[in-house]
Amino acid sequence: MRAGRSAFATGLWAFPLAAAGLAALSLYRESLGLPVAYLSLLTLVLVWTTQAASWNILSGFSGYFSFGQAAYVGTGAYATAVLYGRHGVSFYLTLLVAAGLCAVLALAIGGLAFRLRSLRGEIFALLTLAVPFILGALARTSRAIDGGQGVPLPVPSFPAQIGLFQDFLYLVGLGVAAGAVWTAFAIAHSRFGWALAAIRDAEPVAEGLGVATFRYKLLALVASAVIGGVGGSVFALYIGFVTVESVFNLNFPLFVIVMSVLGGRTHWLGPVIGAVLVVLLQNRLASSHFESFQLIVLGAILAVLVAVAPDGLTTEVRRRPWPVLGALSGTTLILWLARAPGQPLDWILVGMLVAAVVAVWPGRRRRALSIASAEPAAVAPSSPRPAASLPPASDPAAPPLAPAAPHRAPAAPANPAVLVDCRKVARYFGGVHALEDVTLRIHEGEIVGLVGPNGSGKTTLCSLLSGSLRPTRGHILVAGHDTRALAPHRVAHAGIARTYQIPRPFASMTVRDNVALAVMFGRVRRRLTQARARAEQHLEFVGLGHLAGALPSTLNLHQRQLLEIARALATEPKVLLLDEALAGLNPAEIDVAVEVVRRVHRAGTAIVIVEHLLRVVNQLATRVVVLDRGTVLADGEPRAVMSDPAVIRAYLGRSGARA
Amino acid sequence: MKFLQAALTGMLLGGLHALMAAGLSLSWGVLRIINLTHFGLILLGAYLTFQIASSWHIDPILTLVVTVPVLFAAGALLQWGFDRLAVTELNSLLLSFGLLIIMVQAVSNLWTADFRQMAIDVNPYATGSLSVGRLVFPSTTLIAFALSVLLIGAGHQALQRTFIGRALRAFAMDRTVAAAFGIDHRRISILLAGIAGGSAAVAGMLFALSTALTPFTAFEWFGIVFAVVILGGIGNVVGTLLAGLLVGALSSLASVIHSPATEPFVVFSLIVVALLVRPQGLFARAGGH
Amino acid sequence: MRTRPLCAILIAAALMAGAATGCEKKSATGSQPAAEPGGAAASAKPIVIGSTLSLSGAFAATGQIHKIAGEEFLDRLNQAGGLLGRKVVWTVRDDESDQAKVATLYEQLISQDKVDLLMGPYATPNILSAMAVAERHGYVLPQHTSVLAPLMKYPCQFPGWSFGFTPNEFVPGQLFDAMASLPRPPKKIAILTNQNGSTDFVSYGAGDNKKGFVSIARERGLEVVAEIKYPPGASTSWAPLATQVRDAKPDLVINSGLGIDPVNLLQAMAQLDYSPPLMFSLFPAPGPLIKLGPAADRFLSATIFEPDQAILDKLGPAATEIVKDFKRRATEAKLAYTAPETQAVASWNAWDILVSGVKAAGSVDNKAICDALHRQGADTTFSGHLTFDPAHNNFWPPTTSGLTQIQDGHWVSVWPAERAAAPIKPPPG
Repeated sequence: MRAGRSAFATGLWAFPLAAAGLAALSLYRESLGLPVAYLSLLTLVLVWTTQAASWNILSGFSGYFSFGQAAYVGTGAYATAVLYGRHGVSFYLTLLVAAGLCAVLALAIGGLAFRLRSLRGEIFALLTLAVPFILGALARTSRAIDGGQGVPLPVPSFPAQIGLFQDFLYLVGLGVAAGAVWTAFAIAHSRFGWALAAIRDAEPVAEGLGVATFRYKLLALVASAVIGGVGGSVFALYIGFVTVESVFNLNFPLFVIVMSVLGGRTHWLGPVIGAVLVVLLQNRLASSHFESFQLIVLGAILAVLVAVAPDGLTTEVRRRPWPVLGALSGTTLILWLARAPGQPLDWILVGMLVAAVVAVWPGRRRRALSIASAEPAAVAPSSPRPAASLPPASDPAAPPLAPAAPHRAPAAPANPAVLVDCRKVARYFGGVHALEDVTLRIHEGEIVGLVGPNGSGKTTLCSLLSGSLRPTRGHILVAGHDTRALAPHRVAHAGIARTYQIPRPFASMTVRDNVALAVMFGRVRRRLTQARARAEQHLEFVGLGHLAGALPSTLNLHQRQLLEIARALATEPKVLLLDEALAGLNPAEIDVAVEVVRRVHRAGTAIVIVEHLLRVVNQLATRVVVLDRGTVLADGEPRAVMSDPAVIRAYLGRSGARA
Repeated sequence: MKFLQAALTGMLLGGLHALMAAGLSLSWGVLRIINLTHFGLILLGAYLTFQIASSWHIDPILTLVVTVPVLFAAGALLQWGFDRLAVTELNSLLLSFGLLIIMVQAVSNLWTADFRQMAIDVNPYATGSLSVGRLVFPSTTLIAFALSVLLIGAGHQALQRTFIGRALRAFAMDRTVAAAFGIDHRRISILLAGIAGGSAAVAGMLFALSTALTPFTAFEWFGIVFAVVILGGIGNVVGTLLAGLLVGALSSLASVIHSPATEPFVVFSLIVVALLVRPQGLFARAGGH
Repeated sequence: MRTRPLCAILIAAALMAGAATGCEKKSATGSQPAAEPGGAAASAKPIVIGSTLSLSGAFAATGQIHKIAGEEFLDRLNQAGGLLGRKVVWTVRDDESDQAKVATLYEQLISQDKVDLLMGPYATPNILSAMAVAERHGYVLPQHTSVLAPLMKYPCQFPGWSFGFTPNEFVPGQLFDAMASLPRPPKKIAILTNQNGSTDFVSYGAGDNKKGFVSIARERGLEVVAEIKYPPGASTSWAPLATQVRDAKPDLVINSGLGIDPVNLLQAMAQLDYSPPLMFSLFPAPGPLIKLGPAADRFLSATIFEPDQAILDKLGPAATEIVKDFKRRATEAKLAYTAPETQAVASWNAWDILVSGVKAAGSVDNKAICDALHRQGADTTFSGHLTFDPAHNNFWPPTTSGLTQIQDGHWVSVWPAERAAAPIKPPPG
C-alpha cells in the first residue's frame, strides 16, 4: 500500500482515464448498444462504492470501526430531499450543503470521541451506531424535515446532450464515486495515509513517534463524513422518494463493512472490489432461479469469502495479480464464446468468483504473509531465517560495528544543557502511588542508567517522560516546555523518543517503512520522498540494513529491539529512552545491543536506559539513578551508587541482585 | 403515577433485552467474537416455541425443555466452527452476519414471512397481568423479568464461584496464560457458546409469548441490544442486566413524557452522553477486559 | 487456514453461482409453474409481465399475499385462453423490501428482460420508485397498495385500491358516519398514528390538505382525548401507550396503523385489564387479530372486500371460485391467514385493470393501453367497473369501500348498510 511517488504519479493519469472510460459508457451508450439497465446497475455500484470508500477512509485505514455510515447517508439524503425536493433549491447546491452538514457532524463526533484518551474501539463503534438512530428520530418527529410521510424528489433539469435521466444520474454518481476513490487513493499515498496506518497498527507508539493522532483521525472522520453525505444526496436522487427507513437504515453500515472487508480494508481499492462483487452478486441472485434460497446463497458466499480471505481480496489479488486477472477475463470470455446460458452480467459474476478462487488458492506467494491481528507476539517465534541473519560481531557478512570501545564518550561539554527536568513528579493510579516526589534531570551527553527492583516505577517514569502519561503532581519540562501542556506527539517533537520493552513494530509495514514513518513525523519533519532513504541509513546504523524489506513478524526478538531503537532514533531525538531494551536477549545479542547504544551516544543523543542487568549499566552509564517503590533512592556516579548501603539493601533485601 | 408505571413496566421489559444482550456480551467479552448468529438463535428459539406449543398444545414455557438443549447444541456447533476458522473480531462480525442471513431466510422458508402468533388458548400469558395497587404488570413482562434476573444472576454466581466460571474469567483476561494453566480453550469456548445458545432459547420463548413473529425482525433488534451490551460493559453480565433495565425504563419514560417517536432520540442521546462520561461502559468494573 | 476442504467449498460456491446463472434460461422464467394452456393456446410469443415484490425483508409478510394472488390470476387467465390469444408469463423478482433495489430491478425488467408490461411492487415507497422508472420508459403501472393519492402523479399509474383522491377525508368521514349511526355514538376519541407514509397521511393530511382523522374528528364535534404518534418498527414498547389510552377513557380508539400494531396495542391493553369500547385500525394484518380471540371482538377496519357469503353471492360464482382457490393456495403456501381480503383483492383489481386495458387497446402497446383505460375504464371482478380521472390521479371513487368488523372470530362487512353482511356490533352496555 505504501507505494512511493511513482504509484501516485501513475494514479494521476490512470484515474482520469478510468473515469473517462466509465463516463463514455453513458455518453456513447447508444452507439455502444449498452442497455439502460446496465447504467442503472452501475449507478447502484457507484453509490455503494462511494459509501464503502467513505467508510474505509476512516475505519479501514485507521482501525476505528464506525457503525454510523447511515448517519451520513441520511443527512445527505435529507439535505437534498428537503432543500431541493421540497423547497426547490438547486440540486447542486444541496450537495454542498450535505457536505457541510456532514463535516459539522463529524467534527462534533470526533471532537468529543477522539479527545477521550480512554476511548476504546467498541465504544467508538457504539457512539457511531447511536448517531443514525438519533438523527432518524429527529427527522421523523420534525415536520420541517420529514414528519413521517417521506419526501419526494422531482427529476432535476440537466443538459439535454446528456441523454436520459439515467445517464444524468449515472454521471453524477460517477463523479462522486470517482472523487471518493481518488480521495482514498491520494490519502493512501500521502503522509496522511502513513499516519493512519500507524494509528491502526499501534496508536500510542505512533503518538510517541510524533504523529499528531488526534488531528489525523479527525481529518479522516471528516473526509469520510463528507464523502458519505454527498453520496447520500446522490442516493436520494436515485430512489426518488426519501423515507427515514430507507436512508437511516442499518443496511448501510453492515454492507459497507462487508464490502470493505471483503475487498480489503487496508487498501484504497478494496471497497471498489467489494462493492462491485457484492452488488453484482445480489443483483444476479435476485434475477436467478434461487428465489427463496437467494439469501441463503448470498449468506453462504459471504461467509465463505470472509473465511478464506480474512485480509480481503485485494491483498490476495496483489499476490498473484496476473493469474487472477487472467482467470476473470478468461472465464468471462469462454462463457461468452460458448454462448453460455444467462446474461453477460452472469458471466462476469462467475468470472469474478472464479478469480476469487484463484486468488485465495493456497500455493506459492510473492510476498510473506502479514499478520491479521495487530497483537504483537509476546515472544518472537523462531525466526524463519537462519541465524546468519543476526549481525553478530563474528559474522563477516554482517556490517561491521565498531569494536568494543571504552564506554566513556568523548569528554562531555563543560556545562551540559538540561534536556529534561523533572520536578517533584508524582503519578498515582487510583490508590497506587507509582511515583512519588521524583526530581531528576537529564543533561546533554549523558547516559543515565535507571535501575531499581520490579515495580519501582521505571516504566511509569518512562511513560511520563515521553508524554504518554501526565504527572498527577509536579512538572516535567522537556527543552523548556511543560509536558502537561503538550500533546504526546509534541513531546516527541520536543526531542524525546522511547522504545518499548516488548517491541511494538507497525505490523503491516516493512522494517524500512517502520523507520521511514518515524523519519517523516519526527522532530524534524521530513518529506515522504526522502523518508525511505534516510530510514535505510538508520537501519544500517543499528545493523538491520539487510532486513529492510522484511515484515516485523519475521524478525526475532533481538532484531525487533534493534528496530525499536532504529525507529526511535529516526525521530532525531535529543533524549532516547530505552525501556528494558535488552530483555530476553542472550549474552551475544546483549553485546551487540550495547555497542549500538554506544554508537547512538557517540552520535550525540542523550540516553536514559532502564535496565535490570547491572553489568550493562556499569558498562554504559555515566550516571545511575536508583528507584525504589516510586522514589529516587540514589542518583550519581555508578560506582558510588552501587556501593551505597541503602541501594544494596533495596536490592538484596528484596528481589536479590542479579549479576 | 403514570410515570412510575411507565418506568416500572419499561424496566421489566428491559430485562428481556438484557437477557438477549447477555449471551452476546459474554461471547464478545470472553471469546472475542461478535456473534450475530445469537440473534438468529433467538429467532429460532421463538419460532420453535411457537411451533411446539401450537402443534402439541402445551404451555409455551414448557417448550424450553426442548428448545434449550437444541439451541445449546446449535450454539456450541457454531462456536466450534468459529474456532476452527480462527477468525478475528471484525471478521467474526461479518462471518456471523452471513450466517445470520442464512438463518433468517431458512426460518422464512420454513414458516413463511407471514405473522406467526400463538393462539390465545395456547398462550394465555399474552393478555394476562398482575395488579399491585394501582400498578399493573403484564404477565409476559413479569415472566421475562423474572427469568432474566434469574438466569443472569445464576450466570454471575457461576462465574464467580464455580471452577468453570473462574476458568472462563481467566480465559477472558489472558488466553495464553490460562492455557498454560491447563484450561482447554476449545472446550471452554464451546461450553460458553452453548450456554449463550441456551439463553437465546429462553429469550426467544419470551418473544414468542409477547408478540407476533416475523423472520426479519431479527435485524430490528441490533440497535437496542448492542446499546445494552456496550453500555453494560462487554463481558459483564450484571452490568448488562443493569444497563438493560436502565434503557428500558428510560425508553418508557421518554415515550410517555413526550412521544414514542422520540424514544430512540432520548435513549441513544443518553447513551452517547454516558459513554463520553464513562467510556468503559456505565457499569464496567475498572480495568475491564 | 488453507486446507483442501476449504478449496472444495470454494469450488462448490463457484459452481453454485454458475448453476444459478445457468439455471436462468431466458429472462422469461419467473416463479410461475407453467399453467396448462387452455383451448386457444398460445401459438405466438407469450406476453411477459414483469414486477418486483417484497418476498424477504420487512414487508415480506404481506408481499407473499400478492404473489399468491398474482399466480392465481394468471393461472386462470391462461386457462381461459390467455390474453390476445397469447399465454401470459409473470417474471417476479424479490426486491428484499429495499427501495434501492426496486429501481434497478425495474430498469432491468424493462430494458434487459424487455418485458411487455409491468405490475407494481408492494408498499408505497417501493411503488413510488417503480413509478418513476415506469414513467421514464412510458410503461403503464397498475399498482395495488398505495393510497397516497396526491403523490401518485404519473398519469399512467392505475390504483387497484382506492379510497378516492382524498383518502384522508374519505376514510375518517366514512368511519365517523358509521359511528354516528350507532345507538350511542362515541364522543371521545383516542388516535394513535404510525408515522409512516399512508397512515400518517390519513391522520394528518399532507401539503395544503391537512384534513385527517384528527381534524375531522374535531370538526364533527368529537373530543380527541389522546393523540399519539409512534414510529414504525418493532422497537416501540406498547405498554406506555396502552396506559395512556386507558387513562384517557376514550369511547373509540382509532389506530391509523398497519401490520401488527393493533395486535400489539390490544394485547398491551388487555394486559392492563382494559378493553376499549370500540377500536378501529386502518391497515391491520388480518390473521393475528383473529388469533387474539375474544380480546379482538368488535374490532373495526377499512376494507374493499370481505369474503362474506352474501357479498360473494352478489358477485357471482366466478368470485366464489376465486376465493376458494385463493384459500387453497394460501393453505398450501402455509400462510397463517388464508382468506383473501383487502390486500389480495387489491392485487386482483390491479391485474384486472391491466387485462382490461390490454383488451380494450387490442395490443400490448403501453400508450394505447393507458389511453384506453382513461377512455373506457376497467372492469374488475370484485370492485365492479372503475373509471380513471387523471385529475384525480386515477383514484376511482371508493364505491366498494366500507368497514369490516370482527364478529365471533370472523371478519364481517358492516358498513355501508347496503353492502353490509351484518350490522355493526356496538360496545356492550
